[in-house]
Amino acid sequence: MHSKKLALFVLLGCALVPGSQAQIQHIEMRVEGMT
Amino acid sequence: MKQHLGRQSGVQSVDVTLIDGKVEIVPKDDGRIDPQHLLKAVYDSGVSVAEMDVTVRGRVAKNASGNLALNVSPNQSFAMAMNELSKELEHLADSANTVTVRGQLYKKPEGKKKLKLDPSVPLKLLVLEIEKKE
Repeated sequence: MHSKKLALFVLLGCALVPGSQAQIQHIEMRVEGMT
Repeated sequence: MKQHLGRQSGVQSVDVTLIDGKVEIVPKDDGRIDPQHLLKAVYDSGVSVAEMDVTVRGRVAKNASGNLALNVSPNQSFAMAMNELSKELEHLADSANTVTVRGQLYKKPEGKKKLKLDPSVPLKLLVLEIEKKE
């Protein structure tokens, strides 16, 4: 039972970690001609 | 423009400061935001972009021709323009380390009033600051 839980935890971790590791966090632009 | 940008995929919030022409975009956590689409969206709303900076976290990779790139997701990567800071990241190429950098993705060429944006030309990341190496 414990090993099943552990396997599920590892699987979930693998699925979530790549998304949280790499991504664009913030974008800032300077624009011209805005009224 | 704020509404137009807010409708783009991957955008969580948009903050516009009229006085200095600053537009701040916070991406959604899914990381599916495309800066090139945002540039186009701004141009489509009738204003031109002078500069675009990003804070991005990813893995450094080296392509077949030896150029450095920052892989943000399996299908999103930014070629890095070479400067002193990108040279500092060279040793991390193809390692498991992630880096967080602040960089410039776009700058309007000097002296050009009207600019035709070419979406087929990929944006290059000029590293301005290395915030974190993990």
